[in-house]
Amino acid sequence: MEEGRACTWEGVFTHLERLEAQAHEAGRKQEEKEQQEEKLARLKERVEELRTQRDKLQAKVDLQQKGQTGRKGIIESGTTEPSAGAVLEWKIRRLQGMLQAFYLTGISAKLTKRGVCFSISTAYEGTYLDSYYLDLLIRPEVQIHHHSVPIFIPLEQITKRYLKTDIRRCLSVLSDHLNAYARRKYQADQLQEHFSDQLEGTLQRNSLCNLLVFNYKVPGEGKTFPFNARLIYRDLCCSLPTEAVVSCTEKAPESLQETAAAHSELFRHLALHKAFCSFSRAEEREDGAP
Amino acid sequence: MDETVAEYIRRTVLKIPRDEIKSMLQKWGFLSEAELQTINFHQIKDNISQEVVQLCEENSADIKQAAVLDIIYNHIYPNKRMWSVYQMKKTGEEPEIFDFQSFKKKFKRRLLSALENVTINFREYEDNAIWIRIAWGTPYTKPNQYKPSYVVYHSQTPYVFISASVLKSNMPLLCQALVIASSYHDIQEMELRSRSLNSLKDIVFKRYNQNFKTYCPRPPQERNAEPESADLRIIHENRSEKERIERVTWEIFGDGPQPQLEFAQYKLETMFKSDPKMEVLDKKEPFRCLVKFSSPHLLESLRSLAPAGLADAPLSPLLTCITQKARNNFKIKEKRGFFPGSFVSP
Repeated sequence: MEEGRACTWEGVFTHLERLEAQAHEAGRKQEEKEQQEEKLARLKERVEELRTQRDKLQAKVDLQQKGQTGRKGIIESGTTEPSAGAVLEWKIRRLQGMLQAFYLTGISAKLTKRGVCFSISTAYEGTYLDSYYLDLLIRPEVQIHHHSVPIFIPLEQITKRYLKTDIRRCLSVLSDHLNAYARRKYQADQLQEHFSDQLEGTLQRNSLCNLLVFNYKVPGEGKTFPFNARLIYRDLCCSLPTEAVVSCTEKAPESLQETAAAHSELFRHLALHKAFCSFSRAEEREDGAP
Repeated sequence: MDETVAEYIRRTVLKIPRDEIKSMLQKWGFLSEAELQTINFHQIKDNISQEVVQLCEENSADIKQAAVLDIIYNHIYPNKRMWSVYQMKKTGEEPEIFDFQSFKKKFKRRLLSALENVTINFREYEDNAIWIRIAWGTPYTKPNQYKPSYVVYHSQTPYVFISASVLKSNMPLLCQALVIASSYHDIQEMELRSRSLNSLKDIVFKRYNQNFKTYCPRPPQERNAEPESADLRIIHENRSEKERIERVTWEIFGDGPQPQLEFAQYKLETMFKSDPKMEVLDKKEPFRCLVKFSSPHLLESLRSLAPAGLADAPLSPLLTCITQKARNNFKIKEKRGFFPGSFVSP
């Protein structure tokens, strides 16, 4: 006890020191424990997050697998599976190709709310010309709702005859008329565009392009336009004239008269711009031949 | 040269805007290029017209040649006149070979046999339009050159566009001459009038951009690619409603510019529908009133009504059928029988 009392003063301080150290230690341990608990909580949270993510992805994979069993033979091992977007694109491209194919046949159609809308496209030897539309109602009976056919095409006559009885024939006849008109117009336009130096002034024509009157010359013939051509297309479904009258002035020499007759024959069998092309080629041949 | 011809040429040149005078005289082709060079086109119009008259005197212009200048002026400025549309009807199905020369002959013959004092001029244009100018006189007076009628006819179509002079009494004769010359049977005035000749042609020849449901045209969603990322702070509350209105408007009016009309007139002869207790009209009589829509460009303004929020979409079919029915003058009567409401009489 003496020692104890003798060490009291030192003992108290040491005791206090020891207590302090203990408290410090305890505090540190407490802190550590709290930190660990915090960490644990955080990790638990993370685990939860990852679990939900995993579930979602799993669901996606399941869905894709189910979808894929519907389609046959698209997936190969080694390639990634095509996304739904890529498949949709492929489908769209295929449909567009089909529609383009239909458009190229000349007559295509689309169902509308109250009927059908037909589109007739015209073409001449690989060049696509205008398209015309015919919107039909089906009820109460087949009738035209509205259309974009030019006014000088005898639409009323054609539909009066065929529309209610035979739609196919009606469309076919209308397509013939429109195509023939487009081709006649194309020939006249080509003539004016490419051979204007062989024509005197402008070409005289009418709305249907079924009467063409012009004065022309063969290339290299000098400055006069000795020939007068009058082309009549009585058949509205045809793009070649039914009558072609080529005349010269009365004082013209015999050779010109013969040429006129030959041209008359030519115009009835060959498209207008091609006929003029052949004149140029004949001219070249004459020049080239020794 | 006659005094009247000189005065007429002078007045016609005064009508032309100064910058256009030279090109129009060139189109006329009556004065040579050399003579045109001598005119100073930078002075005031009075002096220009005096010089032109002087040159025409030297070349002894007559009234027919002066009339050609008038046609050229009206062809370039057709909007100064009010045009109405007439439709011709024919029976029979012979294919038409339209011959301009025989048309001219028949027309002139018919008019001249009825009325000696007329001045008739024809001019053909590239788009197959034939312009006819007729100045009318009476058996005792010379033709009045200042009030001519104009007729525009596209061959092989049943439509004629007439801008009549004030003297309406000559209309029957004119109509008859047209019918005979173009080998038709009958002619009737359509309920379509406007100052814009080209728009009238667009409507009856169906050259305007009609809306056809085919696979080729692009759908409206692709067209209106507005930059949506413009400002993310702006939220469009009624986006779906706005899109619906745009879609309905596009279905009715389509893409592209509309023909230009100045008015649409509806003459109502319908019964006044009111609360029976109000007894506004104790006699059941049709309430007559006239509703007229006017605008510098009626169809465009109708098209923009719904997107601007000023009207419901779709618009009333009475407004949207104008181009399709090719009329802007309607009479609305009460419909008795199957459908309630009003209907449009032919």
